[in-house]
Amino acid sequence: MTPDLAIDTDGLTKHYGHVEALVDLDLDVRVGEVFGFLGPNGAGKTTTIRTLLDEIRPTAGTATVLGMDSHRRSLEIRSRIGYLPGDLAMYPRLTGRDTLAYFANLRGGVDWSYVDELADRLDADLSKKVGDLSSGNRQKVGIIQAFMHRPDLLIMDEPSSGLDPLVQREFQDLMRDVTASGRTVFLSSHTLSEVQRVADRVGIIRRGRLVAVEAVSDLRSKATRRVEFELGSPVDRAVFVGVPGVRDVEVRNHHVTLAYEGTIDALLTTVAERYEVIDIATREADLEEIFLTYYVDQDE
Amino acid sequence: MLANVFTKSVVDRWRGMTVAAVGLGAMLWLGMLAYSELDLTVYEDLPDVMRSLINIGEDLDAGGLAYGAIYASYGTLTLASLALSIGSRSIAGEEEDRTIAVLLANPVGRGSVLLQKLGSMLVLVGAGAVVLWLAGLAVPVMLGVDVGDKHVGALVVHMYTAAVFFGALAAAIGGWTGRRALASGTTALIMVGSFLADGIFPVVGWDGALRFVPWHWFQGGDPVSNGVQWGGLGLLVGAAAALAVAAVVAVDRRDLGTGRSSGGVRDRLEALPGVGALLERLAGTTRARRIWSKTLADHQALVVIVASTLVFFGVVMGPMFLAIDDALTQFMDQVPEAILAMVGYADMSTPEGWYQTENFSVTVPIALMIATITMGARALAGEEADRTMGLLLGNPVSRRRIVVEKSLAMALVALGLGLATFLGTYLGSLAAGLGMSPARILATSLLAGLLAFVMGLLALAIGAATGRVATAAVGAAGVALLAYVVDAFFPLAESLEGLAAWSPFHYYLSADPLNAGMPWGHAALLAVLAVLLLIGAVVLFERRDLRLAD
Repeated sequence: MTPDLAIDTDGLTKHYGHVEALVDLDLDVRVGEVFGFLGPNGAGKTTTIRTLLDEIRPTAGTATVLGMDSHRRSLEIRSRIGYLPGDLAMYPRLTGRDTLAYFANLRGGVDWSYVDELADRLDADLSKKVGDLSSGNRQKVGIIQAFMHRPDLLIMDEPSSGLDPLVQREFQDLMRDVTASGRTVFLSSHTLSEVQRVADRVGIIRRGRLVAVEAVSDLRSKATRRVEFELGSPVDRAVFVGVPGVRDVEVRNHHVTLAYEGTIDALLTTVAERYEVIDIATREADLEEIFLTYYVDQDE
Repeated sequence: MLANVFTKSVVDRWRGMTVAAVGLGAMLWLGMLAYSELDLTVYEDLPDVMRSLINIGEDLDAGGLAYGAIYASYGTLTLASLALSIGSRSIAGEEEDRTIAVLLANPVGRGSVLLQKLGSMLVLVGAGAVVLWLAGLAVPVMLGVDVGDKHVGALVVHMYTAAVFFGALAAAIGGWTGRRALASGTTALIMVGSFLADGIFPVVGWDGALRFVPWHWFQGGDPVSNGVQWGGLGLLVGAAAALAVAAVVAVDRRDLGTGRSSGGVRDRLEALPGVGALLERLAGTTRARRIWSKTLADHQALVVIVASTLVFFGVVMGPMFLAIDDALTQFMDQVPEAILAMVGYADMSTPEGWYQTENFSVTVPIALMIATITMGARALAGEEADRTMGLLLGNPVSRRRIVVEKSLAMALVALGLGLATFLGTYLGSLAAGLGMSPARILATSLLAGLLAFVMGLLALAIGAATGRVATAAVGAAGVALLAYVVDAFFPLAESLEGLAAWSPFHYYLSADPLNAGMPWGHAALLAVLAVLLLIGAVVLFERRDLRLAD
């Protein structure tokens, strides 16, 4: 049986005393996608991941991973996933290679030529003791550890912390390789730009509650874009205010800045009819902005 | 609460000190209860050398004996251990934890940090001493025991000063080297060594060497009977002050460490040609193949040190037996067995009795339990504290398997250290031509290993339940100390004698294995206890949420 969902939680709830770390979380991660799990610090990302790994047990609700109950069949689950914990710590007195050998032995079925390939791609030094590595280089060992047995599902908590931009790009390619072979990636992050580049869908979590799940492409089309015109004569604000989809109009002498949603066609027609257009600059809002919008809206 | 380094240090530690002080007060109560029911006149017939050996002062009444055994010996060792823990962590601990950078980024001088930490040590140990003083006054009143004219205050002042001395020593070593483990290890070795030397030197006639023994500065002159001994006290205070100055000077002059793994003796050795590969094999970095073998490798340094200590003490006790004061031997010949049993000590005129009293009754179980309780406390809780447990459990290994494999590693260590004990004692017996039975030495040594394994499993089980290393270590060590006291002192009093059977220690030496061979029933009982603890640890660990390190 191949389940359609790599991760499926149903009313997942975790309380620590009176603190509600997770509330009624219903999360679906499809097989073969990169799912980005976004939220600010303390939102419940790590709590969710630790529940999936059976490190902690839910107060209520269930979670299935690769079609198996996260608690009862944890051992089978763990034989098929790769895991990179947040705030990674390893054994400081082992070298990178010894660390990987230890985990490879516990797991079995690791192809060492693939380990070497991963080390090569990430430019990781496996001969040094982990305790002597910088945090970024230590993170590389953790990433190799998660990828080395070609797991069906990768669960990674803030995976690119400490990595330099070049290595981050290589890491993103690695994630795309995983989904290209029909496997799944679940990564948590507060670095939105990273998720934007690799994720197919994102779920946004906030104060233990799932606020939204959207395809990255849908988010983009919903996104508000901003445009700035430099025009041949002083601008009349009233001209712009009536155009469908336009808001936040700011006028300063020959300049106008505004936000719009949907296609730009109506706006361009209006401008071209009345003014001589000297320059135009447009910018797509990134997830960061969308993300902030979610919070600003909900914080009222 | 956290106004400065001093208050933070106090806040971090007050719980441990409170538990220790209250525990010692409770033990004084137990000890005095046992002594008060005993006909103590037998002690009057003991020669001075023997009293020295078993740390008994001049006053042979319930008060003198209980203060001497519980306060002067265990109390001082405990207070001093806490002081040396604070001292060794003062700068070196912050370096190890890599917190020194953040701390010193604030406008506080290194010397000021060190002095504030030492100040917190003075206050904490002082608070512990006050609790001990109050308990020392209250216990005889509660029990209705007449302790006569005893200087409990003087004894506590001496204990306090000795503890501060060892704390300052640890701070000085940590200040010079930046290595916490080296500081606490060396100081603990000097502390225990001087404690043993203070008992043994007079017996073998080395009275002159006593003046170099810090424990003698504290114990000499018998403060509980005779009041404050200004000479010894002055030596301790002066030495502690000098060590504190040395620590401040050293910390100001050297480069601070980064807490990285390099720079140790081993790394320097590894740099030598050919030595690297050999050490690699010995140290077991290439043996990180299974959980149990990696656990063994992690504790190799500790195990090697403890094993060497056991072999060393085993060997030297042989020739030392030949050097015992003739007076003691002759005296022992004349004392009926029954009286010796009542006093709780074996016949020291025989090699077996000597080894039992001097090696197997205290040194061997302490050394073994340091190793097993350390391993047990770190087994599960240590990986949680180091935040590696999540990574380990990301692999397809069950929690039960982790508990079982870590216990297996501990069992192998207990077995190995039992064999080291056997080896040392057998070599000592051979060297001195004492002709002790190898089979019986082996039986006794293995029983010691089994007892230590049980205590290690207790630490592991507490760690499985709580995920806290300190709770596991302190809890298991506390139970071990209590079990020892129950086994050592309860048999002295008729009404309490039956309760001694509740102590695991009872199944170690009570059947006299050095003379009678392996008591299989006792061994089986300890083994059953081990299995129960193992099952308990698995159940507790499987049910619990893993902690995020704090």
